[in-house]
Amino acid sequence: MSIFEYNGSALVAMVGKNCFAIASDWRLGVQLQTIATDFQKIYRIHDKLFLGLAGLATDAQTLYQRLVFRHKLYQLREERDMKPETFASLVSAVLYEKRFGPYFTQPVIAGLSDGDKPFICTMDSIGAKELAKDFVVAGTASESLYGACESMFKPDMEPEELFETISQALLSSVDRDCLSGWGGHVYLVTPTEVTERILKGRMD
Amino acid sequence: MTKQQANWSPYDNNGGTCVAIAGADYCVIAADTRMSTGYNILTRDYSKIIQLADKSVMASSGFQADVRALQKVLAARHLIYQHQHNKQMNCPAMAQLLSNTLYYKRFFPYYAFNVLGGLDNEGKGCVFTYDAVGSYERVGYSSQGSGSTLITPFLDNQLKSPSPLLLPAKDAVTPLSESEAIDLVKTCFASATERDIYTGDKLEIVILNASGIRREYMELRKD
Amino acid sequence: MESVFGLVGKDFAIVAADTSAVHSILVHKTNEDKIMILDSHKLMGASGETGDRAQFTEYIQKNVALYQFRNGIPLTTAAAANFTRGELATALRKNPYMVNIILAGYDKETGPSLYYIDYIASLHKLDKAAFGYGSYFALSMMDRHYRRDMTVEEAIELVDKCILEIRSRLVIAPPNFVIKIVDKDGAREYAWRESIKDAPVAAA
Repeated sequence: MSIFEYNGSALVAMVGKNCFAIASDWRLGVQLQTIATDFQKIYRIHDKLFLGLAGLATDAQTLYQRLVFRHKLYQLREERDMKPETFASLVSAVLYEKRFGPYFTQPVIAGLSDGDKPFICTMDSIGAKELAKDFVVAGTASESLYGACESMFKPDMEPEELFETISQALLSSVDRDCLSGWGGHVYLVTPTEVTERILKGRMD
Repeated sequence: MTKQQANWSPYDNNGGTCVAIAGADYCVIAADTRMSTGYNILTRDYSKIIQLADKSVMASSGFQADVRALQKVLAARHLIYQHQHNKQMNCPAMAQLLSNTLYYKRFFPYYAFNVLGGLDNEGKGCVFTYDAVGSYERVGYSSQGSGSTLITPFLDNQLKSPSPLLLPAKDAVTPLSESEAIDLVKTCFASATERDIYTGDKLEIVILNASGIRREYMELRKD
Repeated sequence: MESVFGLVGKDFAIVAADTSAVHSILVHKTNEDKIMILDSHKLMGASGETGDRAQFTEYIQKNVALYQFRNGIPLTTAAAANFTRGELATALRKNPYMVNIILAGYDKETGPSLYYIDYIASLHKLDKAAFGYGSYFALSMMDRHYRRDMTVEEAIELVDKCILEIRSRLVIAPPNFVIKIVDKDGAREYAWRESIKDAPVAAA
């Protein structure tokens, strides 16, 4: 068993036309035992920047706390929010600090950058950035998600269609993964508003 | 002399992906034609699909040497069947034979992941899906092999069959027309090829229906 | 084997734990209290390595007290849970404490709450939680019978159901349990459920 599969997770982010969506499942487990079905894996850094953390829950929590701390210092010093690109570099740097004793987590970063251009990116546990134009996935359901997203994704979707696509991809993927599921959590972000939706799903 | 230990395995994995979809009056069986070992491609044009009887077609991924041995056993058993009964074996019977043949080697299994597609006695499409030691189930659609983790959730999404717990039992065949099913299979493989290094080169599709058997091919990415 | 579990009721929270001190095949005593009263309105049920448990829970207790002395206000339950998680998380990559914690508390503003913290420092707020081999029985029992608006009597009845199930279905079942409660009137021992008494020690 890999330490990345200890708690179980499914994370995905997709780009649409001037918008993006990021979605996750709700489960927190310890191997095959489900501990909670309301565990949040997507965090709001600011209104146009979201961070998803898959992998070992404890490291996700530690890493999130450190990143929020660094982002707050940045806000104080610069009197502005961080751009997604900058934040991705920060996450990468924070992860690489622990090169020989990593946080066992795979982040997904999604945000709107200058001119409301959508930005999505993922990383491995030691901070090797992987930028993508279409979608990124992470967690124990990542293979299923790759298959589902690869088949369902189209470029330049409008927000509502994007929401439908990411939700369908997430739900059909977690149903084939034992370690993630129990419903979904979707953020849909456009230049003007952030919509948060809770998805019902299979409870097994 | 230092102690010798077995560092050799009788098994290899040659990758590959198989998909089968059953419809009301047809069956589609498809597989890619890439054969690999590790990071090497052995050939880009190797058929994983074999016709076992008039209305039974098997697609197999896994270890192709074992697959060939399995195909040979099935062919021999089917020949005997024809001599004894003077007819072709039907698909559900072939499904049971395949299961028995796999389980016969329970403790030194054929490293083969099969889907068997065909038409039953009523001419309805049928798909049987297997594990390596012969556990099998009749389903409406199935995917096996290296790309199955990518394809299965998408097939679930497009063709979700009624729950097997429902009473009275609901038909598992998919509601699609033949040409829609073929298009779906093409989409699946195009997607799986993007992310699975063991799937690619060419897609071979076998279509069984009342008018007989037909083959189609589609080029896939070669990288 | 060790069983610690807890639940949140209408306006209180309960933590129950077995009271066996086991080493290898020996039961050293059957009246070991594994639920620490952290401060006036907090309970900390802990399972894990005996030494780590004693050391760590006391360390947390004293630091919570220190905070109260310095600042004149007590930590909220959420704050104490996050402090505990922080200590476990820092220890995790040095010399980890092998302790799993159920932290229950009552705050004026938020009412009763219960936190799950395992030895790798995953923190989550729950309505019901359990650790150890007893968790398989306690969790299923609570999944079936738990309600958020339970009265003390109903909750104790449920706790007794859990204890009965553990005693009758767990091969290595502990004989004795302690039940503690926290509500607006503070944290206190509620009852013992003993099936054997420790053999009396002859006076020297």
